This record gives sequence, structure tokens and C-alpha cells, in this order.
Amino acid sequence: MKRGAVANLLLLGLLLASAAAAAGDTRATMPLSFDSYYTYEQVGQALEALHRAYPKLTRLEVAGRSDEGRDIWCFTVNNPETGPELEKPAVYVDGNIHGNEIQGGEVCLYLLSELLTRYGHNAEITRLVDTRCFYVVPVVNPDGRYHFFADPGSHSNNRSLRLPRDDDRDGLVDEDFPDDLDGDGNICTMRRRDPFGTHRTHPEDPRLMIRVKPGEKGEWVLLGSEGIDNDGDGRINEDAEGYVDPNRNWGYDWMPPYVQSGSGDYPFSGRGLRELATYILARPNICMAWTFHNFGGMYLRGPSAKAQGEYPPEDVAVYDYIGKQAEKITPGYRYLLSWRDLYETYGDSGEWLAMTQGAYTLVGELYMSEEEGFGKRQAERKVDPDYESGAMFGDDAARTLERIRFSDHLTLGEMYKPWQAVTHPQFGEIEIGGWVKMSTRLPPAFLLRQMLHRNVAAVLFSAQQTPRVELEIVGVEPAGAGMHQVTVRLANPAAMPSMTAHARRVELYPQDMLTLAGDGLRVVAGGRVTNLNTGETDYVEHRPEIQFLTVPGFARVEYRFLVSGKGRAEVTYRSRHAGVRRVNIQIP
Amino acid sequence: MQPKLFLAIWLVLLTAGAGGAGEPPPFAFDRYHDPDAVASRLRQLVQTAPETARVHELATSPGGRPVLIIEIGPETAAPVRRLPAVLVAANLEGSAPIASEATLYLAQLLLDQPDTRRDKTWFIVPLGNPDAAARLFRRPLVQDNRNDRPFNDDMDDRTDEDGPDDLNGDGLITQMRVPDPTGEWIPVEGEPRAMRKADWSKGERGQFKLYSEGVDNDGDGRYNEDGPGGVDVGANFPHLFKFFTRTGGPWAGSEAESHALIRFAFAHPEIALVINFGRSNFCLNPPRGGRTGTADFNRIKLPERVAKWMNLETDKTYTMTEIMELAKRFAPPGMELTEAMVAGFLGLGPVVNPLPEDLKFYEALSKRYSEFLKERKLDAKRLDPPADRDGSFELWAYYQYGRPSFSLDFWTLPIVEKPKPSGTDPEALTPEKLENMSSEEFLALGEEKIAAFIKTSGAPASIQPAMIIQAVKSGMMTPKRMAEMMKTMPKPKSAEGLDTETEALLAFSDKVLGGAGYAAWQPFAHPTLGSVEIGGAAPFAADTPPPTQLLPLLEGQVPWVLTLAEQMARIRLAKVEVTALGGGVHRVKAWVENIGYLPYTTAMAQRNTQCAPVVLELKGDGLKFLEGRPRRLIRQVAGHGTETVTWLLQADRPVAAAITASTATAWGGETQIQIGGAQ
Repeated sequence: MKRGAVANLLLLGLLLASAAAAAGDTRATMPLSFDSYYTYEQVGQALEALHRAYPKLTRLEVAGRSDEGRDIWCFTVNNPETGPELEKPAVYVDGNIHGNEIQGGEVCLYLLSELLTRYGHNAEITRLVDTRCFYVVPVVNPDGRYHFFADPGSHSNNRSLRLPRDDDRDGLVDEDFPDDLDGDGNICTMRRRDPFGTHRTHPEDPRLMIRVKPGEKGEWVLLGSEGIDNDGDGRINEDAEGYVDPNRNWGYDWMPPYVQSGSGDYPFSGRGLRELATYILARPNICMAWTFHNFGGMYLRGPSAKAQGEYPPEDVAVYDYIGKQAEKITPGYRYLLSWRDLYETYGDSGEWLAMTQGAYTLVGELYMSEEEGFGKRQAERKVDPDYESGAMFGDDAARTLERIRFSDHLTLGEMYKPWQAVTHPQFGEIEIGGWVKMSTRLPPAFLLRQMLHRNVAAVLFSAQQTPRVELEIVGVEPAGAGMHQVTVRLANPAAMPSMTAHARRVELYPQDMLTLAGDGLRVVAGGRVTNLNTGETDYVEHRPEIQFLTVPGFARVEYRFLVSGKGRAEVTYRSRHAGVRRVNIQIP
Repeated sequence: MQPKLFLAIWLVLLTAGAGGAGEPPPFAFDRYHDPDAVASRLRQLVQTAPETARVHELATSPGGRPVLIIEIGPETAAPVRRLPAVLVAANLEGSAPIASEATLYLAQLLLDQPDTRRDKTWFIVPLGNPDAAARLFRRPLVQDNRNDRPFNDDMDDRTDEDGPDDLNGDGLITQMRVPDPTGEWIPVEGEPRAMRKADWSKGERGQFKLYSEGVDNDGDGRYNEDGPGGVDVGANFPHLFKFFTRTGGPWAGSEAESHALIRFAFAHPEIALVINFGRSNFCLNPPRGGRTGTADFNRIKLPERVAKWMNLETDKTYTMTEIMELAKRFAPPGMELTEAMVAGFLGLGPVVNPLPEDLKFYEALSKRYSEFLKERKLDAKRLDPPADRDGSFELWAYYQYGRPSFSLDFWTLPIVEKPKPSGTDPEALTPEKLENMSSEEFLALGEEKIAAFIKTSGAPASIQPAMIIQAVKSGMMTPKRMAEMMKTMPKPKSAEGLDTETEALLAFSDKVLGGAGYAAWQPFAHPTLGSVEIGGAAPFAADTPPPTQLLPLLEGQVPWVLTLAEQMARIRLAKVEVTALGGGVHRVKAWVENIGYLPYTTAMAQRNTQCAPVVLELKGDGLKFLEGRPRRLIRQVAGHGTETVTWLLQADRPVAAAITASTATAWGGETQIQIGGAQ
């Protein structure tokens, strides 16, 4: 008896210990694992672990603090031995701007893991790390990620910034959150038996419901998401946190909430976003940016609103080059034009990066729901605006059936909560059940790794296409009267020009500068060579010693300086996006 | 007097006493006050009324200057504000010093008259753009709306390296005119101080190029193209903000000054009225319409995909009400569909013209303002105030903040009254008529008509009618010969081509400023441009009155702000009626009245959802609500309008209950009622 009791206690102890571990008590350690999702705290631990493991190549900073005071981390990868970071083209990657779209954070961690653990082992990764700089912000919305894990919710809750707002305009603020009536951590769906209801039980799976046809008898009425009417206004869950959409609150082409709901009272009303923007502004070397979201399997480029007009054709060509390759790297994902193929947005972070920072920007919508299935490829679906509105699967009963079977057979039922009877204070006897928080917009863990790897591969491809300008002295020749003519070539074998056509068009910042200088030397004339064979050159009228220029992608340009005097000369090329190149020559 | 001396007078006029060493003079509206003097005046005011007033800092400008706000009212020390407030923000342009002076005058007025602040809070920002404002007190004098954020205007390798230079040492930055074969400018004939563009179609040929005064500091062939200064705070607000301009900033609210002001406004939902002192004047001229936009709720065109989906036409227009009816069918159950959501879905974009319902109060108040000015003899004709600017504070306050937004500019140049041009009299004599006249006919005109003719012909003053009559009588002169002579005479110089503003400035400068407002062109040997002339309008002369006029302008116009504040919506419970229906059932009916002139709230606030409702609460123990929840909302009450709310209650015993009407921006009221119980 006694021995049995001790054994039972031991067993209980073991069970409790494993329960604690399962509850997310584990610290993130190196190497990072990608077989589950990291909580907000664990993302921080993972970044610290990465930094501890690779202190020379990395820097971990707080780019800003959220509205609830949580850190927005930025992790920099740069090899200082190959040059200061601001003199290298930079790739900026962020994720999880919507609090519930957590796997964007995992993409960021996976990217860092790839760059650092394979540095010195893989030649291409080593070259990228040595010649580029990476700024990675895994969690743009820390409050959202924190509450997504900590609070009861659905896959769509906790998207917002934590900026109180009176959503239902009743004079009270954030007074009617969803309520976890059955205490399981999920905000699911409520239904009640009702012969006049709009739905009946699915004939092939009693857990599912289908909409009744006209004349058919109903069985269920849907009562919305799990919750009670906290403020006694007759509505349920109508004023939860925010709602201020962190991806509608940025400064470029921001529109007030009556034009586009969720944009917040004014641009950058979110404190964390404003601080992150300031942090990004201080890194003018960012020439490629990615922001990761979590639904649809898309790579979106701007413009995000039609009224913006199309980007200059030179920029569209660069986007097409990267986007079409990314489609191949990640089968099933589609490279799309944001306003036309999805919907219009104002004040999103991607457009801010593209338009006010002059970075080529792609929005990655991770995860296709088609992956929750049995391998039969769905016919190409037309993207429709309902994707983000909650009616994502519409009434496609066959598809829902496939998904619930996927849940049954591949996650042993973890994605769907069976219906359970609950007594509701306002609705009486009801049932609660349906898709759980960690479903629908989040792939089950076993699908995670491949999704991360393919998307990171797309990011790495874009990093390879950041400008890579080489400076070459084509010749130093006598030009009569004691003068010399110095011909300089700038060649760029990558797809991106050293400045976007947009940035040039609106004069966002100064173009690249090519200078020739040296003691006792005077540049008499200088300009762009328009025909290298004949030597025709467009000489500038003023300040010939400094040439303002942009090096196009997959191209070269030549410049010529007429120099009087002799001695050592330094030819310098300085670009925000393509770094700095210096060559010393001797004028005989 | 030397021209330089004239201009020196302008500098003294503008800022006399500013920046002088020693004891500050007692405060008076006899000069413009620099940002430090404005700040110390605010602190002085607070010292006189520490219970009522408080000063704090909203933001620091890029130049390190504080943006201060003074709060005046009974609740300035209270942790929770319950009283409605008025927000007055001034001089966001930075180049409108009279606007800042007006806020100081207003603050004094509020402290002197307790009634004006008894039941409301005043938030006053005297200097929204302190960096630009500080320029008035620096030499050389430059007029520029930009704050001190560094900005590389010419996108070269240096920032702020080529600003204007005071070449002639008069303390002012004016213009340079340089003879140049490619120049487009010529002097105005009758007013050679002023320049106008040559009109090639009239055979005119340009003679001059115009530059602002300075040298090419960075040797790039351009003059003064990258002076210090970054962003015009007054055009950095989110409504109709323009991207990629040289002075507007990278996005709306990018500047510490504008961001802080917007943030403050949203942190104070009790603000019911917004007033801007600056350049535009919504009190004289209601906010203008006529912009092309797509957000007209009465004529909505549907995008093809939506039209198809809703089974509607793309070539017809629909009203929002019609679309809402249809859209409700498509909304998932439990979802509350708002017009804002539908407008967003349809991509209707922002409202760009004042809503007709709001224009009613703007127009009516503008009439009253004209009468107000007339009574105060301040209605002399003056140049129109400049129109509101895209991205301005006053537009934002109306279109996005949703409050009644007024603005005042206080002064523009007086219009030059033109004498009626002669020749409008059909009887008047012309050389053409003269040519066919006999001597007898000419003499028959009489001395008076002949005198008038001589005057308009441009003849020298020495020629008297008697001389002409004598000459014709004697036969020395015939009308025909006289006509020929007149045709060859040089035409009188006309000031045609002179724009109204320059004309007004020249007149004002000559009559009031002793010539100090406009410098005559004086030769100067320029290091790269050769022989040039420097002259033209003095900075600020065209839009800033001399300080001697300051006090009467403020005394006369600032009190209109108090009148505006009296128009605020004011909600009260006008009446409550309890009717026993038997069996303990009672009907309670409440009349909620807006006794103010302005509506609760503006139509724009209803549209842009920046309006908290009137909350009506009925509280009493043991009441059973048969119809109507204890907490009811009223979204809108017209000016001088009344809305009613009805409850059906059941009370088994007599209950003492209370009804409260509360608002953030328009006061409220409370009434005790007795609900009888079962009979």
C-alpha cells in the first residue's frame, strides 16, 4: 500500500513537471528549435541566446517600447571586420505586427539562425553576412504577441495595438472583451439549438454545421464568438482592446478611421511604431524590406492604394524579378499587387518603408490554408477581400470537412474543439466549440519548418539582389596641356539599382556621389560618359569634382574627370544603399 | 532719407526693445515678443492667477525651443476634467507674430473676466512653431515658415549650406535684380519699384532675372537654394497632407510640434471648439469647398467588383443609405455595420469639402462677425486673408478632429481705393472726336469740359484751359492739329501689371511706414553676378502690421473668440415626465436639450465618428426596465434642438431615481424623479 502511494506520488510529480514544461516554462536555448511557437518572452530569450553565441557578428537592441511598455527588439547582423554597417546594403525584416500573426516572428528567428549557424560553413551565407547588413525585428507588436499567448483568444484576437478606443462609440472604452466561458484558453464559437436557426448539422460530420437552404428546417443558431454582454448594451464582445490596427497607423498615406477603420486617431499614434520608425530612419542603408503576416500565401508589393498610381517601371521590374523568383522558391505562394489583387490599405508599414525610406518592400503573407489538406491542390482560388474579415472559408462545406479531417488525422484533433454544453448568463443553455486559437491562421508545428525555410530562402534571394557596386578605374590617360583624363566605371551585377526610381523621382535623399580629390589636383571637368567608344561625355557645369548619380541594376555606368596637376588622387563612391568604395590612383 | 534708413526703421518698428540687455520692460502690446518673452509673459500670467492658470511644455522643437501651452479655468489642477474646453493654437506658420500676441491678449482677457472661464477650460498654445518665429528677432531678417530641422533642399553633399546673405548690410533679405538676356522680368511702367513678367505676346522682352539676396555659397550655380530650415509646421497636419514637398515634412505629424499638438487634442476629448490664430480666417470666409473628391455620400459610384457582387450598376450613383440597406444583407450575423466600414470597403476616401450642414453655422457666424467688425469700425476693406492651406491645423481640426474649427488672421494690407477711371463718361472728349470738330464746336464745349479734357490728356499742369481757348480763338490752333499733337504725345504711364498685393504694399509702405516696407533698387557689385540691384519688399511688411497698430487690432478682434465660445453646444435635461400606467408600470420620458447655438456635434464629427454620444442614465434601486436600457445614447442634438428618450419601467415600491445626461464636450444635467410603485 505504502509503496504504491509513494509510486503514485512520484508519478504525480512527474506529471506535474511535464505539465509545467508543456505550459511554456522552457527557456529558449541554442540551437533554436522550430517545432513549436515561441512566446514573447521566449523570442527575447532566443535573441539573447543568438547574441551570446555570436557576439561579434550581432547586436541586440531595443528599437522602441510598446504602448504597454514591452521591448521591441531589433537584432542586427553585421560583420564589423568587413566594414561598418551603414556602409553596407541592408535588408530589414520584421514580423508579427498583427499580434495574432505570430509566425512572422518565427521567420525572423529562422533567418537569424540560418545566417549565424551557417556562417563560415556555407560559402554563400558567409559572403552575404560579410557584405550585407541585416536588421531583424521579430515582434513589431509585443503587446499583441504577449496577450495572444497569455490571454484566452481565437486565432484572430489580439491583433491590435493596446491603445484604448471606444469601438462601439458608447462613451465607454474597451469594456466588452470576449470571455472564456469554459476556461480552456480558447475563444471559440457559441451556438444554441433553435428550430428556426440558420444552420443544421453537417450530414457527414456532426461537429460541423451547414447553412440551411430556403424552406429547410434549422437546428442551430450561431451566437457569435465566446463571451457575454459585459456592458449590458445587448451586444457581445463588441469593444475589446484597441482597435487600432498597427499596420494602418504608419505615416505614409495614412487615412483617418472613417476612411479606413482601425487606423487610429492619427499617424503613429502607437508609441512603439513611432519609436520603431525613428529607429529605421537612422538606418538609411536599408534597401530591401520584408514584413511578414500570416494568411494567404502571398508576396505583395505596393502601391497599397490605387490612387497612389503605379510605381515607376524600373522599380516594377525589380519587384517582378524578386517576386517571381520568390514564387518559385515557395510553391503555391503568389506574387501580387497589393491594392489590385488583395485590397486597398492606407498607412501600412510596407508602403511607408517603400515610399518614405526608398526601400524595395515585400509583404509576405505566410501560410496557405490549402496546406491543411490531403495533398490535393485546390484549384487556383481568386483572392477575395473576405480573407481577413473572419469569413475566410465562407460556406465551403467540402473544404471545412477536409480541414476537420486534417485536424483529426494529422493533429489528432487539436485544431478543433468539440462542442460542449455551457450555461450562458444571457443566452441560457448553449454549446461552445469550433476552431481553436492555435489553428486556422497558424500551421500545425510539423508544417512550420518548411514554411520558415522557404520564406527565409526568398529573403536571402532578395538579399543577393541588393546593389553590389564595383568601382573600377578604366584608364588614366594624358589629355594634353598637362591634363589627364580619368575614366571610372561603376558596375552593379545585382538586380536592385543603388537608389529606387521612386526615390530619385521624388528626390527623397541625395543620389550617390562619385568624387575625385587629391593634393595639388584640380578637376577641370567631369561628367558621365554617354558613349565609351567615342568618348562622348556630358560634362556638368558646376562642381565637376563631385558627380551625383545612380547605378542601375544589372548595368554599369562610366564617368570621366579631366584633372590638372599631378600626384595621388582618391576616387570615392559613396551611396546610401550600395556602400562606400575607394580607389587610389596616381596622376603621372 | 537714405533707403537703408527707411528699412532700419522697419526693423526697429517690428521688434523694438527685443533682446535688449537689462531689466525687461513692463509687458505691453507695443512690440512683437520673441519666444523667450512669450514664455516669460505666460509665466507672469500664471503667477498672477496660480489657482486658475498653469503652463506646461508640449514639445521641444528641433531648434530646442519649447512649445508651451497655458491652461486657464477652474479645473487646471484637477486630475479629471469634467468641463468642456476650447483649444486655441497660434502661429503654426511661425511667421504670423500677431497671432502669438493675440493669444497673450486673450489669456489676459480670460484672467480679467472670470465669467469667460467659469465653466470651461481654455487651452492656449501661443507659439506652435517657435523656431520659425524666432527668425523675426534675428538679423538679417528673413521670412520663413520652416522649423530648424536640418534639410538638404538641393540634395547635394551638404545640408543648409546656401542660405540668403545680407549683401548690402541693411539687415533685411530682399531681392536682387540682374540684367540678363534670358531674364523674364521687367519693371512695371507706372511703378518702377515693382517688377512684373514680360508678356512676349505684347512684344515685350524680359530684361531682368530675380534672385533672393545672397551669394552662391556652395558654388553649384544656384543662389540661396539650401538655407537653414526644414519643415513648415503649419502644413504638417494629416488632412490633405502633401507628400514629397520641400517644406511639408516627410509625413503628417512628423514634427515634434505638430505631433504633440495632435496628441494633446486626442488626449483631451473635452475639447469642444478649436480656434487657430494664423493666416486664414474662417470667421470672415467659411472654409472653402469646391475640391474634387469621391466621398459624397449622396452620389456614390461603385467599383465593378462590388457592383457585381451586390447586383448593382457601375454607371449609376447610389446614396449611402441605399448601400447600407443592401450591405446589411451581406454582413455576417452579429456584425454591426457602420457607414465608415462601408465607405472604407468602397474606398470612398476622405471628405474634402465642408459638409453643407456645417456650412450653415459657418455662414451665419460669418455674417455676425462682419457686423461685429462694423460696430468696432474695423471693417475697412483689406486684402483677402490667404485661403486655408492643405495640411493645415485648422483643416485638420474640422475634418479629422471633427470640432467646429475657426481661424482668425487679424490683419492684411488695406486695399488701395482707386479713383474712378475717367473716360467712362460717354460725353467726354477724346482725340478722335476732337479731330472732326470745328473750332466753333470746340469753343462751344465751354471751359469746364475743356479743363476736364486737358486733365485726362496727360498734358503738363502748366497748360491752362484759358490758354487753349485763346489759341483756338486766335486761330493759332485748330482742334485737328490739337488731336494730332496729342496722338504724338507720350501716353501717361500706367501701373498696369502691378498686382494688387504689391500695389497695397507700396501704398501702405509709403503712407504708413514712411517707405520702410519696400526698398528702392540700389546698385550693388555682386561677386559672381556682376552689377546687380538690390531692393523690393521688406520681409514681413506685407503681412505683419507695425506694432503701433497692434493693440487696437487685438482689442477689436480678439473678443470675438469669447463670442464663439458662447456658441458652444450645451446639453441639459429640459424636462422629465413620469406617467403611471398602472400595475407599477411607468413611462418615463426625458427631453434632452441643446441650449447652445452650435450643434452637438458637427455633421463632420458624425461622419468621421469623432463624436462621443450624450449618455443618458436612469438609476434607481429595484427598477425593472421593460423597454429601454438603463444607459441610453443620443448621437446628435441640433443647435437649439431637443431629443426625447422614453423608458417603460416597472417598480413594485416607490423608487427615488435619478436621470443624468452627460457629455464630454457640452456639459449635462441631472434630474431626480419619483417613480410611484404599484398602486
